Amino acid sequence: MVILKKIGDFLDERLGIRDILEQNLTKYLLPKNINTWYTLGAVLLTLFAVQIVSGILLLVYYNPNTDEAFHSIQRIMNDVPYGWLIRTLHAVGANVIILALLLHMLSTLFMGSYKRPREITWMAGFLLLLLSLAMCLTGYLLPWSQLSFWATTVATSSSGEIPLIGDVVVRFLRGGAMVGQPTLGRFFALHVMGIPLILGVLILVHLFLVRRLGISRPPFGPDWKPTEPSATFHHEEHPGGIPFFPHYVTKDAAMIAFFLALSVYVVFFAPGLFFPPASFQPANPFETPVGIKPEWYFLWAYQTLKIFPSEFLGLAVQGVAVSLLLFLPFLDRSLERRPKHRPLFVAGYCVGIAVFIGLSIWGHFS
Amino acid sequence: MGAFLMTNHITRSLFILITLFGIQLIGSGSARADTKEPVCIQCHSKQPGRLGAPVADWRTSVHAANGISCNNCHGGDPSDFAMAMSPERGFLGAPKDTAIPAFCGRCHVGVEKDYLESAHGHALGKGGPQCVTCHGNHAVQLATPDLINEKSCTRCHSFERARIIKAAMADTDRQISDLERSLAQLKMIGVVTDQMDGDLFSVRNRFHRLFHSVEVEKVRSHTTGFQSDLAKIRDRVAAIRAEQQRRKTWGAVVIGLLLCCGVAALLMYRSYKREI
Repeated sequence: MVILKKIGDFLDERLGIRDILEQNLTKYLLPKNINTWYTLGAVLLTLFAVQIVSGILLLVYYNPNTDEAFHSIQRIMNDVPYGWLIRTLHAVGANVIILALLLHMLSTLFMGSYKRPREITWMAGFLLLLLSLAMCLTGYLLPWSQLSFWATTVATSSSGEIPLIGDVVVRFLRGGAMVGQPTLGRFFALHVMGIPLILGVLILVHLFLVRRLGISRPPFGPDWKPTEPSATFHHEEHPGGIPFFPHYVTKDAAMIAFFLALSVYVVFFAPGLFFPPASFQPANPFETPVGIKPEWYFLWAYQTLKIFPSEFLGLAVQGVAVSLLLFLPFLDRSLERRPKHRPLFVAGYCVGIAVFIGLSIWGHFS
Repeated sequence: MGAFLMTNHITRSLFILITLFGIQLIGSGSARADTKEPVCIQCHSKQPGRLGAPVADWRTSVHAANGISCNNCHGGDPSDFAMAMSPERGFLGAPKDTAIPAFCGRCHVGVEKDYLESAHGHALGKGGPQCVTCHGNHAVQLATPDLINEKSCTRCHSFERARIIKAAMADTDRQISDLERSLAQLKMIGVVTDQMDGDLFSVRNRFHRLFHSVEVEKVRSHTTGFQSDLAKIRDRVAAIRAEQQRRKTWGAVVIGLLLCCGVAALLMYRSYKREI
């Protein structure tokens, strides 16, 4: 204890560490009516950390070569001590992250927290969702299984429907005419270095903005009223609120524990949810597996492409939907954030969720 | 106009961005691989009657499922229409009845040997059966004891002796089938079973070869050895299953701990909140 105090004194003398901790932990006050949905940020940070650690451990044994990739994954799953656990946790973690990101996004939408002055925070968050999907897509190819190979073949060939530049995009993504070693090389580079770097920067930007602007107060309760945003920078304070530490941290910890429990449950008791039989067969460019389907978070997109007469039209609809969400803070300028005072938005919100779920179920069974 | 161009530009850029990020993971249609079939199939599949029928039969066969194509048995050049049936390229054509055991025996060496030494083999060319009599030709299926049946055997003789041999094989064959199912299940969850697959394949082939001797005593005396080999594979499967059960137990413990931690943290949060 004496040593710890001495280290603390040393750092405090040079960096003012106690003041920083105080300002960001004990004296950092959150809205009194803050709810459970606000814990999803901490949950996501933890899940991303799990992905980084498990990803680094997988890198020790993974070989990004078309002749070796599948066997290296088999070695990890069967020979490396706890390799099965690390690999399964990594794959399941990716799915849980997408689930948490979607919940985080939906709660932000429902409470109108994306509105001025938090437009950039929203856009950074939404880009984080897109980048996470890109991480999933690039990671999908790395095991070089039948599932990896054919999912990537079809995904990249869809890009060929983009007018004028379609073929160039397909060749750019694949590094050649077909999915092969150049595709594996570039997806590997993007998955372990390119995208994580951008993702890391965006997470920092997102966190900085959250802290700089202050937590938005949930738009519930009798005393919540829309207020005109300040013309100059304003940090939203919550006098008399809940201290972040130790109070709210305990709630964060509880939700983190529950999400980890969910991940561990799938890892140990239902790994087949994310590992269909085709994921345990080596890639074979001459044999297309029957009934291959994308992961659940891409099913809506898969079905959208199927229900339109041309893939380009399907892509255009997806582009419009994604653009609308990305630029929503600039389209929805009203000050009102209370859901019961935004019936049109809430109706659209519910329809949007229903369409997402409906298309996904349709895509799964089609 | 400027705003329109700007919006247009943003939309186009977004399309590219979305493509790059893989939002549209799977497109419609099935991007089948451009696999080139042997010229034999390309030509014969379009022909009527007995010249085209073997293709449809072959497609349902165990040979097709394992990539054994026309030229693997009949020889010839599967890549050249003009020379596909040329003896210069090793084309053999269809064998005569008496040549069938040697024809199939190029791959099924052990079976041919046991067959030729058996009563069936001794009757070759004298009205006795050869491979195709029981297994069929192009639509050949994975051999099972069901091939030994009254309808088939009584074409030549009574079923009594065959029934006894079939009964002697039944238990071992059931064990082989059970193990095949177990290995398939393990494979579905990522367990590498190549070694066990190879061992089981070997036992299965040696055991099925045994029938071709059509000697009840030989089948019975060799069965113990086969069952011992199967027991070794079964032990390895059981060890893997036990390990998986252990993992599940540990998983349940970890889940329990995480849930306890979560509930404890929530209770702490409530206590803190009451203090405010």
